[in-house]
Amino acid sequence: MTPLIAGGLVFATVGLLFDFQGMRSWLQESATSTTTEGCETIVQANAQLSREQLAQLLTIPERDAKERVRQIVSAPYCRLPELTVRSGVVAEREAYPLAFDPKTRLVILYEKDEYAGYRFSFE
Amino acid sequence: MTWGWSTKFAFRRNNGISIGLGIALLALLSGCQATPTAPPARHVVLQQQWELDRGDRVAGYLVSAGLGDVSIELGGDSVHAPFDGEVAPAAGQPSCVYFSSSDVPAYLFRFCGLRRPHLGTVRYGDTMGSGEILHFATLRRHPDGTWAIVEPSNNILERSLQPPLQSARP
Repeated sequence: MTPLIAGGLVFATVGLLFDFQGMRSWLQESATSTTTEGCETIVQANAQLSREQLAQLLTIPERDAKERVRQIVSAPYCRLPELTVRSGVVAEREAYPLAFDPKTRLVILYEKDEYAGYRFSFE
Repeated sequence: MTWGWSTKFAFRRNNGISIGLGIALLALLSGCQATPTAPPARHVVLQQQWELDRGDRVAGYLVSAGLGDVSIELGGDSVHAPFDGEVAPAAGQPSCVYFSSSDVPAYLFRFCGLRRPHLGTVRYGDTMGSGEILHFATLRRHPDGTWAIVEPSNNILERSLQPPLQSARP
């Protein structure tokens, strides 16, 4: 009986170790896929948005110039595919992972070089 | 983006791990799965104010759609989530829901006329409800916090009316 229990313990320990490593790699893949999800073009692979940049961005009203937003946030991590939400107007979308929470990214939408707004995208 | 723990784990299972251990971990992980709860009703202030609008009565008859709505004869068919997002009931409009998505910042989509709409988090292509006539509106956020109804593109409506091919799902 004792060898059976010992064997079971060894089996369970090895199984746990194996699965823990698998789970860790899966979590890492998950974090990466959140950053790249939906991206069409990677613009600047190391781009991240700091708390200070985010705070500044939140002071910019919708309909302001794209250029003003870009002065604060610089180049994005990636571009998402263009969309047409309003008839005849192409929407450009750019994504920035947050430096202080890489699993969250900020998506900014522009129309005709005008800042339309932002949303956070959570895993 | 919004896959639950159990769904992700199902992928792991396909790689082959001991079944007994899998059952134990599945039980453990299922405790992490959030219980779906309906989001609160969303109160949206429209920039445009018209004399006649949805919910008003004229000569005793109910106005079921207003200026800015596109009405589609669904004939009982389903409406699908055009992106990953969230469906919330519209405050003061019992037959309407608002769909919002982090994929489309600055916009809201209003769907009216759906029977028993699916509220809460949805994935692209999920059924949001069905109905006989759908009244659809696209709203864009303004700097003062109000929302303006704008002319919608065909694109969003097409994504809402046609379920995506399995290969098109992210």
